[in-house]
This record gives sequence, structure tokens and C-alpha cells, in this order.
Amino acid sequence: MAVIEKGGSSSGSGGKSALAFINDERFRSVFYQMFVGVVVLLAGYYLYTNTAANLDARGMEVGFGFLGSTAGFSVAWSLIPYEAGDTYFHVFLVGIGNTLLVAAIAIVASTFLGFVMGVLRLSKNWLIRNLAAWYVEILRNTPLLLQILFWFLTVFALLPSPRQSLEPVTGFVLNNRGFYFPSPQPGDLFFLTAIAFVIGIVGAVILSKWATKRLFDTGQKTPVFPISLGLIFGFPLVVFLVTGAPLAFDLPTLQGFNFVGGASVPPSFCALLLALTIYHSCFMAEAVRAGILSVSHGQTEAAYSLGLKPSWTLRLVIIPQAMRAVVPPMISNWMNVVKNSSLAIAIGFPDLVAVFMQTSLNQSGHAIEIVAMVMLFYMTVSLSISLALNQYNKSVQLKER
Amino acid sequence: MSMDTSTVDPTSGEYVASTMSDEVVIELVQVNKWYGEFHVLKDIALSVNKGERIVICGPSGSGKSTLIRCINRLEEHQAGDILVNGTALDTNVKNIDAIRRDVGMVFQSFNLFPHLTILENCTLAPIWVKGMPKAEAEKVAMQYLERVKIPEQAAKYPGQLSGGQQQRVAIARSLCMSPNIMLFDEPTSALDPEMISEVLDVMVGLAETGMTMLVVTHEMGFAKKVADRVIFMDQGEVVEQNTPDEFFNNPKSDRTKLFLSQILAH
Amino acid sequence: MADTTQSDVVFRPKPSLPPPPNTVGVVGWLRKNLFGGPVDTILTIVGAWLIFTLFYSLYEYGIANAVWTANSYRECLDTVLPNGEKVGHNGACWAGVGVWMNQYIYGRYPDEEQWRIQLALALLVLWLLPFWLPKVEAKIQTGLSCVLTFPFLAAHLFLGGEASIFLMITSSIALALFIAVWLNVITSYAMNKSIGKVLVGVSGMADKDDRLHKYVLMAGFALLLVMSLIYVSSWDLPEVTTQAWGGLFLTLTISGIAIASALPSGVVLALGRRSKMPVIRVFCTVWIEMFRSVPLITILFMAVTMMPLFLPVALNPDKLVMVIVAVCIFASAYMAEIVRGGLQAISKGQYEAAQALGLNYWKMMTFIVMPQALKLMIPNIVGNFIGLLKDTTLVSIIGLYDILLMVKASGQDPNWLGLHSEPLLFAAGVFFIICFAMSKYSQHLERTIAGGYGRR
Repeated sequence: MAVIEKGGSSSGSGGKSALAFINDERFRSVFYQMFVGVVVLLAGYYLYTNTAANLDARGMEVGFGFLGSTAGFSVAWSLIPYEAGDTYFHVFLVGIGNTLLVAAIAIVASTFLGFVMGVLRLSKNWLIRNLAAWYVEILRNTPLLLQILFWFLTVFALLPSPRQSLEPVTGFVLNNRGFYFPSPQPGDLFFLTAIAFVIGIVGAVILSKWATKRLFDTGQKTPVFPISLGLIFGFPLVVFLVTGAPLAFDLPTLQGFNFVGGASVPPSFCALLLALTIYHSCFMAEAVRAGILSVSHGQTEAAYSLGLKPSWTLRLVIIPQAMRAVVPPMISNWMNVVKNSSLAIAIGFPDLVAVFMQTSLNQSGHAIEIVAMVMLFYMTVSLSISLALNQYNKSVQLKER
Repeated sequence: MSMDTSTVDPTSGEYVASTMSDEVVIELVQVNKWYGEFHVLKDIALSVNKGERIVICGPSGSGKSTLIRCINRLEEHQAGDILVNGTALDTNVKNIDAIRRDVGMVFQSFNLFPHLTILENCTLAPIWVKGMPKAEAEKVAMQYLERVKIPEQAAKYPGQLSGGQQQRVAIARSLCMSPNIMLFDEPTSALDPEMISEVLDVMVGLAETGMTMLVVTHEMGFAKKVADRVIFMDQGEVVEQNTPDEFFNNPKSDRTKLFLSQILAH
Repeated sequence: MADTTQSDVVFRPKPSLPPPPNTVGVVGWLRKNLFGGPVDTILTIVGAWLIFTLFYSLYEYGIANAVWTANSYRECLDTVLPNGEKVGHNGACWAGVGVWMNQYIYGRYPDEEQWRIQLALALLVLWLLPFWLPKVEAKIQTGLSCVLTFPFLAAHLFLGGEASIFLMITSSIALALFIAVWLNVITSYAMNKSIGKVLVGVSGMADKDDRLHKYVLMAGFALLLVMSLIYVSSWDLPEVTTQAWGGLFLTLTISGIAIASALPSGVVLALGRRSKMPVIRVFCTVWIEMFRSVPLITILFMAVTMMPLFLPVALNPDKLVMVIVAVCIFASAYMAEIVRGGLQAISKGQYEAAQALGLNYWKMMTFIVMPQALKLMIPNIVGNFIGLLKDTTLVSIIGLYDILLMVKASGQDPNWLGLHSEPLLFAAGVFFIICFAMSKYSQHLERTIAGGYGRR
């Protein structure tokens, strides 16, 4: 832009008139910015005075004091323990806990399912390829909310009553009140097994580092995978058995009209989780497919012609390159999982929006504070995710001329 | 040598003395291949001796690239036999692996791994396939990078190099596996004119070491300088094969003459 | 040099032989695509079994055991099949869907007024039809006139009653533009001339100065406008308040407005975010990041709980209006990021070339950068439109009777208590058809455009 203006002024369009400054780029820039600033400020002032007047008329005050007072309603299900006498702030935390729990499980499950579907979409087998393609097309072209309602109203609502529960494996019970499963009751020595598990993981990490070093130093390969498996699962199992299997399970049992004992999640949780997982697995699958396709076939051919086996080609050449294309859409999809978990409200699962933005807001009437807090939570989550994503992008960016 | 129209300098001058022996390293018998209904290779018979340098030319679509891609099984042939170092190429994975370890290949589009440095490109296969210690693999890689005259680029990434430099790295990368046979699939077709000579230089140098080479190219100057045999292909078959001298000065087939007049017309 | 005139050997290419029979044709295809190896064969069998079970159970549920006429859900469940068993949950109760069909599509809009919705839909289709008529020029003007004015005409039609002066005038302009578009189509096909040229010819100004022509056109349009104003003010439509709007009609209304507003507002926000002026850049960035990082449902809640606080009590805005504003804000933020991505893909050389030609910022953006960027963005833009259409279902959570809430309501009707899966499947089918068609059309557009310009 600057180039044009300099050229233009000498050719006389601006001239020497008193209004020449109107055509000056810097003046225009300042003018536009001031204009926008003033409009935004006026709009803000207008909204502020209206709000103040409205609050006055309703006799309400803005402030976060209400967070300390008792909420006084019950929450259907919570990860963080909650009792009816707890405060609004506690309700906020309960909501966050429920939201993050559903989102975290859905993220792991949908990523796994999406990887499988994405790879199947590239299968050489025509039938499998098309099955996967139609899975993706049908499920991502229908609204998530509709899918959530479908699972909730038709699948989980039609499950039998507690007395006729489905119990495919002893201790795992499914009925129209929810999904019941054994809750582990660790004994005194169970901490040793936990420690063994941590040691196993650390050992596996050290092993893989050592194996790489050994390969580089001597050219010898190490069977890392089976040894790691043994370290992570075998070692804790041995410790567990040696210490006398100090873990009991509290099984859910039918007492009267309902199950007691064990742990349980309500049908709304199951429906939400299932719908989120399936819906988002379609987008994961598309990301994975596009990522793998983004690596040109020439890369595979070059690796093969060097004598690399297909499995090593995948590990050393294809996957590192495909991940650059897969990770960014995958992470933004994770962000969407967190946001879409708020649809819980449609089927009565007490997530942050349902329990805080609806119930608490209706009871306390502190709309501004509550909306601000909820939005702040979601903004924090997504800003930290996008910061991590930027960091990743920077670290894997290909160097080019 | 009246028709030396080549503009590329390094390919003119002295003929590189042949080091060909009697030992046959590649043997193709009645090889046929189809792409769907399209008959791309028709009854190809070819035997290549150790140390022999063969240039394959022909119009596009004549099957010349397909032919050399069959030799390390990047393409599967459907009839006939291909033997490399006495090992038959069939569906046996062990045979395919053994042959690929011994046959290097250079592509038209370089196909360097963009996520690895030049040095890592060169050491990847020696470490993972041959089980060479990293330090040794790096030493070998540096030797070959020096031979292709770009040791100073070892720490850079492929995207930071020019086309000619990338192709030289690709050659070095193949050599790091110390293959006995090198296949070149139009190695200079994707390069700007001023970069062609630096790649051909390296290939001439390679010929001097006695490497068995099969080169698909239209660089006729290179053929004259290096080839023991020039093979002309059209419509999926070998039309004519001869020493470069005979091939260029005394072509037998009308098809060869037409091709030579087209390629040397400018 | 070789002598090309005389030849010792004449090259006769060998005849092409047919490939081995097991590599081509049906057998070859089967071997390659279904039975390549033992694993492949197992996968094929498992897949075929899956497909068979799926289709068979769908057939049993949806057709063989389905009940097509009944007066209540109970009646559906108790219908006796030929084998003597009751249908129960093994067959679909399409009877209920049939009874509620009108509400799924129009909500509580009165039956005798539904022709207004149908008329508006017909007008919209006719308005956009010239896009696919090769002989008609001025496609961009046609599209713009539709996007900018059709919503007012539609609003006037849908609402009826005592229309405000504003709606009266804007809908008259829309009607006049619509007539002008179609006069243009008719003259283009009948006389091979645009309406403008015909008007100029009729007025006898064809040999006059070109600058005078626009006055003829303005006079023609003014006449058209006066006529449509007179016509529109003669309308006597009963009022249908927004509370009665619902069903698919409401879903499409909300998402249609959001889609139409998303592109212009997204472009402005994206340009603002790339601006060199800090105040504008910060404002746009905050706007985009804020509304992108929170779920739509929180924006909707904000709209219905906080908008009444923000605005004067006297204004008392309609719930539907607040929801539409919220969805538009949400859509603008998402579209802005897509546009920004498209702008980033345009090479610096294009900007430099435009500046070297002496184009100013707005001309550079309008004529050089945006057309290229928009073409690149087509798949993402359509993807965003599909997302918006699906997200519109969230308005059901805050109590607007869109198709999804209507579907839920039918399952709570005393006569049809518990009727859920059939209406939900129906709604899923509707969404799938619309969204799938949109995505396929965008792929088609992408291909035709890529064919013309080559991939970047």
C-alpha cells in the first residue's frame, strides 16, 4: 500500500489542497481506528446503562458473593462428591468435573475409533472401504443432538427395568437406571502394585531409549514391544499376586427395586458418551485418511527401494509425515468434543452448562456472573489447547528454502 | 561423432572405459505386464552383465520406466521370470527384500524424506536394514556425500536444497546401501537445465567405479559417453539394442531413426 | 546423422495380447478388491455379513413389520402380524410419523396459511434458478439481490398482519428485484439480450450517450418498485406470530439466515484480523476467538438470559430474533477463520501484482484476492454451512420448536406417547439428505473449478 501512496502523491492526485491529509494513509488509519473504538465504546456504554437500569429495576446486584451461599438443589450424578448443602462454587466444580470426565473418555475413544475407521477407509478391500465410507458419511451428516436423543430416548430408555437387567458379564449390569460396574476396593498392600505399574512404565520408556542407543551403537535390534508389555503388565501382576492379591471388588447387587454397591453411571452419561464418540470418530477418520493420503506414494517407493520393510516404512517414513497433517485437525476436533459435551443438557446429564448455566442461574438469577464464569472455563480450555497446537506446529514445521 | 548436439558438457569427451564382466546379474525372460487391459510390457527378454551400463530410451508410454520398476518389484509383472543375482522375483517376501537391498534406485522426483536431514536420509536404511552402527553409517554417508560433492549440506533438510542437490543426495542415499546394481528412472527430467550437468557428472563418476547401471534417460550425450549398450523401446517392446556407436550412427529400424531424428532435431 | 529415408528393418509392433484372465474382468476385480488374501477374504465375509444383517433388520423393522395406519401408538404396538405375534418394538410405527408430518415440517403454522411458506420457497428457488441457466448474465447481481433482500420478503410473508413500514418497503424492493431478474431471464432467452439493453432499445436511447442509459434503467426500476409497493400494500395476510413457527421450516429459516449472513460478516472479520490497524485487529481477534472457543449452547443461553438485561425493557425483543442474532454471531466467527485460511493461501505475488497495477486496498481485495480465495475455500465454506444447519438443532434446547423439538413433542403427545425412534429416524433422514447433497455438490463444484484453473 505504501508504495502506491508515495507514487500517487507525486503524480498530483492529492495535490496541495488543505484537505490533502484525508488521503494520507496514516491519517486514515488513525481515523478508522478511532471510529471503530468510539463505536465499540458507545455500544458498551449503551449496554452497560441498560443492564444497570434493568438490574436496578429487578433489585439485583452484580457480584460473586453468591458463590459462597448454599445451592440447595441436588445433582443427579457427579464425579466430585456433592451434597445438597454445598455452595454454588462447589456446583461449578462439580459441573467442570462431569464435563471433563465425559470429554476425556470421548476424546480417547473417538480418537481410537477414528484411527481404525480412517485406516479402513483406505483398505484395499472394496467392501470394507465402502462400509467405512458410509459409516462416516451417514453419521457426520446427521446432527449430533439428534444422535444423542436417539441413543437416549430409543436405546437406553428401552432397556429393561432393574429386575430384568442385562448382565452380560457378572458385575456389569445394564438397565434403564444406568450402567453398573464393580468398583475396586484396594487393600493395604495394593499401593505396591501401583508402584510396580509406574516402575513398569518408566522401565519401558528407558528400555526404548536404550534400544535406540543400542541400535545406533551396535546395529543390534531389541524386541522392545514384548519386553515393554511384560514390564508394564507382567511385573505389576507378579507383584500383585506375591502381595496376596490385595484388591477386592464391590459388586452391584439387586436389592429391592434397584442395584446397590459398585459404581454406576446414569443412562444419560452412556448416551452422551456413545453419541460423542461415534459422531467425532467420523471427523477423526477423515483427518487420518487425509493425513495418510497427504504423504505421496513416492515416499513409500523410495523406502521400499532402499530395502525397508513395509512395517518399518510405515513407522519411519509414512507415520512421521502423516502426523503433521493429522494432528492439527485432530486437536481442533478434541476441542469440539469438549464444546459438544455441553449438549448433555438436552438429556439431563449434569455437565457444567446444565448444572451451572441452567439450574444455578435460574435459582440465583446471577446471569452475568454465571455466564462469564462458564465462558471463561471454555475459553481457558480451548486457548490452552490451541497454544499447545501452535507449539506442535512450530516444532514439526518442515524447513524449506 | 558428427551429431554431437548435446549442450551438456560433462557428457562429452572421453568414453568411460567399460569394466563389464561375463557374469550375468539381471535376467529377464519373456516378461509381460498389463495395466488393466493395457499391455505395457510385451515379451521382454534382457540380460545384464556385471558392470554393464545400459541406457534405455524411447517415447513416453513405451514401458521403459515400468521395465526398470519391475526389476525391484515396485511394479509386479504378470508373466515371465525376472532373476536378479540368481534370485527369482516372485511373491516370496524374503526374495523381494534381498533384491531390494542389492538394487539401488533413483527417481525422477527425488523422493527424499522431507522430515529427515540429508544425513538422516542417508543413514536410515543402513541402520535399520543392514544393522550398521550409527557412527559407522554416518561415516559412510559422509563419504558418499563427499563423492556427490555436498558434504556441507549434511545437516540441512531436503526442502532447503536445490533440485540438482536433492538428486545428488538421492544418489548418495542409494549408494549408502552399497548396492551392486543402480536403477535410474529419468533422473534429470525434473531438473532445470543448469542442474542437469551436476547430476550427470555424479553418474559418470559412478560409472567409472564399475557399477552396474540401468538408466532411463533422454540425455543422449550421457549414453554416448558411458553406455555399453543402448536399448530403444516402443509400445512395450525392445525395438533395437546396440552399442552407442552403432545405435546413433547406424540405426537399423525405421522407428529408431524417427525417434532419433525427433530427439536430436533441435 | 542417421538417414531416415532408407530402412533396413521396419518396426512392426507386436499385437497387444489380452491380459491373463484372472487379472481383469469380474474375476480380476474380485481378486483385487475382495479376495486378495486370506485376511482380505475374512474381512469380506465379515463385511458382507454385517451389511446383510443391517439391511435385513432395517427391512424387517422399517417395512415388513411396519404399521402404516393407526390412531395411536398403542394401536401400533398391538397390531398383530401374520405370524400371530404383536408388532411391539419390532416394527416401525410410521402411522404416527404420518399424523405428525405436517407439524414436523411447518410446526404450528396454521394449515390454511402454509401456502405462504410454499410460495416463499418457490420464489427462492426461482430466484436462484438463473445460476444454472447458461444464457443469463449478471449472476453475481442475481445472487446478491437474493441474499440481501429475500429475507425481508420472506419475513413479511411469514409474519403477515400489520407489516411495519420498513418491512413493507424492503419486501417491495425484493419483489421488484425478483421481477427484474426474471424479466432479464425472459429477454435473455427470447431476444438474446439482457433486460437493460431491451429497455434502452425500447426507450430509443440506444444511440445516445452511454452515460444516459443508467437513467433509463433507474426509471424502469422505479416504475417496477412503485407497482410492487402498491401490490404489497394491498396484501391482507392474517398474522402468524413467531411462536407458531416451527418444524423443518423454522430450522431452515434460522440456518438460512445464518448462512446468508455468515459469509459477508466472516469476510469483514477476517480482513479486520489481518488489518495493520491495531484497534481493529484486536477487536476482530477477540470477537473471533471468544465466540469460537465457547459452545453454541452457551451463546444461545446468553442470548435468552442476558439479552433482555442488555437491552431496554421497552424493546422486548422476540425470542426468535435473539436466537437468530446469536446463531449469526456464532457463524460469523467460524466463517472468519475459514476466510482467513483462504486468504493465507493466496501467494504474496498476487497482492504485489495487484498493487503494481495501481489497485487500492478494496479493489485489490474485491477483484483479485477474494475471488481466488473464495474458490479455494469452497469445501470449507460448504462444510461450515452443513455444520450450521446441524447446529441449528440446538435451538430446541432453549425451547424453539424446530424439527427436533417437534419430533420430541410427538413422543409426548398422549396419543403417541413413547413414539421416539420413528420420528428421530425420519428427521435423521431429512438432515442426511440435505447435508449429503450439499457436500456432494461442493465436491462437484470443487472439481469443475479445479478443472478450469488447475490445482494450486
